[in-house]
Amino acid sequence: MELEIRLFTGLKCNNQELPCFGKQEFYLDAPDEITVRELHGMLGLDRKTSLISLINGVSRPDDWVLKNKDRVGIFPPVGGG
Amino acid sequence: MKIFRVNMTNQTVTAEDVPQELQGFGGRALTSAIVAKEVEPTCHALGPNNKLVFAPGLLSGTTAPSSGRMSVGAKSPLTGTIKESNVGGTASQKLARLGVKAIVIEGQPQGDGFYCLHVDKNGVKLEEDQVLVGKGNYEVVKKLNEKFNEKIGVMTIGQAGERKMLSANISVKDPDGGLRSAGRGGLGAVMGSKKIKYITIDDTDAPGVSVADPEKFKEAARVFAKGLTEHPVTGQGLPTYGTDVLVNIVNEAGGLPTMNFSAGRFKGANKIGGETMHDIIVSRNGKPTHACHPGCVIRCSQVYNDKDGNYVTSGFEYETIWAFGADCCIDDLDIIAQADRICDDIGIDTIETAVTIGVAMEGGVSPFGDGQGMLNLLGEIEKGTYLGRILGNGAEFTGKAFGVTRVPAVKGQAIPAYDPRAVKGIGITYATTTMGADHTAGYSVATNILKVGGDINPLVKEGNIDLSRNLQIATAAVDSTGLCLFVAFCILDNAEAFQAIIDMLNAQYGLSMTADDVTELGKTVLKTERAFNQGAGFTAKHDRLPEFFKRETCPPHDAIWDFTDEEIDSFWNF
Ligand code: SF4
Repeated sequence: MELEIRLFTGLKCNNQELPCFGKQEFYLDAPDEITVRELHGMLGLDRKTSLISLINGVSRPDDWVLKNKDRVGIFPPVGGG
Repeated sequence: MKIFRVNMTNQTVTAEDVPQELQGFGGRALTSAIVAKEVEPTCHALGPNNKLVFAPGLLSGTTAPSSGRMSVGAKSPLTGTIKESNVGGTASQKLARLGVKAIVIEGQPQGDGFYCLHVDKNGVKLEEDQVLVGKGNYEVVKKLNEKFNEKIGVMTIGQAGERKMLSANISVKDPDGGLRSAGRGGLGAVMGSKKIKYITIDDTDAPGVSVADPEKFKEAARVFAKGLTEHPVTGQGLPTYGTDVLVNIVNEAGGLPTMNFSAGRFKGANKIGGETMHDIIVSRNGKPTHACHPGCVIRCSQVYNDKDGNYVTSGFEYETIWAFGADCCIDDLDIIAQADRICDDIGIDTIETAVTIGVAMEGGVSPFGDGQGMLNLLGEIEKGTYLGRILGNGAEFTGKAFGVTRVPAVKGQAIPAYDPRAVKGIGITYATTTMGADHTAGYSVATNILKVGGDINPLVKEGNIDLSRNLQIATAAVDSTGLCLFVAFCILDNAEAFQAIIDMLNAQYGLSMTADDVTELGKTVLKTERAFNQGAGFTAKHDRLPEFFKRETCPPHDAIWDFTDEEIDSFWNF
């Protein structure tokens, strides 16, 4: 399935084997029914701090199952106001 | 410590001992207590019966990290409610070290002449001064640096405050001569109505703040500083990217008000976000990390230079960038930085002003997305033309002038940078706070979007009234300590750091307060403020969002404001 991925605030794809290596905004060909956690792993994202994953604009837990054409935004902890 | 009273009717200054009942108060608790006790709620906010109160926080002037915030209070000419506007810069620490518990400016002089106040170890002195009248805040600071020295503390109003425009703010000098603002609620107009152009503060040979148990204080301050530096938001996110880091996450969550609150996502978001800003600042030899007052360990501020490396602005905040950016459909950070500088110079609140321009764009005054058009409108405010005077009076006034019905304001104050339909917890805060729409009064965004202090769904009603209530109570207490509200990101997640605040207060004042006492303080502040507002004629019917939030959906979630009146009113059940 195809996912529309945006990584923010210093995050980028760390998986050298993927064409999106080093990128922040890309489309990804991912296995069907992959979870958010599996996606983090596939992209080689830093797991030391918890990440915020917005799927189609809605925050979802790491065990959430992704669907074809989902828009995924991933953030490290941020704040402001 | 002393409370200084400056009577502008007969131009006298008196110093009073702090009455017993106010001794445990500082910051917002103190400004609101004085305004509620001494100001007739139905008075005209720009007349002789209003009072303008400056109060450093309880911990200001000590070594407590990030404790240099000051509260400025009065009846607001913008909202008609009580107002506390919170500001950084160097003034709070200097006043506290000089033993100033509060300065209360009351009465009103005859005639058109302006005055200035000077605070030093000998007390407070009032003098006439017309030389800087008509000047912008940057020039005022420059001239006062020359007259005194670079270290002099300055609080000043620009041309907008002199003209008593309802969006006028009070600017406070930061350690490098930049400006921070007591932005909201038109308190610059109140200062202008008292005919005070500026206040200088010289803390040479100040007696300093006495601490009952210095060892305990030091230990608690250490624990608190450690908590702040170790939390990912206060230790990394804010120092690196500033508050503007929020643009992308709020946009992604569909809550970034765009084109005068007609959508929740802006296609130019990334071009104005904190990550882009960080790269621009670094490439132009600016400072991505900067403190608005000495001793802030979070340092969310920054110094933004133009393409040639010349200083443009500092304290370039998310709210400002969102408002001149997404809300006006402008995706050029350099234009937004110029707008921020103009606002700081003429002394107008960036949130109120930029939302006003969004409303004016809706009313056909200038097209959405026209950056130069926006700067021209700010020029009208600076010149004080008739159009400028309409715009300088804020979003609601401007909406009426141009027949606009989509006017994002509550109790007359413009709604800030989170759409209440898509971030429902902050909508409850906008509706119920005693201040008129104000995100800082109970920052539900933290838990709705940023997942700090828990995780409450921003798109449904459940849990959001309790969230806003708990945060508004806690915020009223934090605003009384002089601590920057951004410490909340840490203490909401770290009980040890929260306890350290109570330990610092106990060590400084020789008290034995508990967390419950702090909560009680927050409740007392809110109830005092609400009683003032009720006296001024406000009822539950004013705790409502504008009608369009119930009639128009907000894409991409097609979210709608769906709280019933009864649900909103249950906020006050405490
Ligand atoms: S965190 Fe930012 S706003 Fe708060 S005191 Fe520090 S520099 Fe000022």
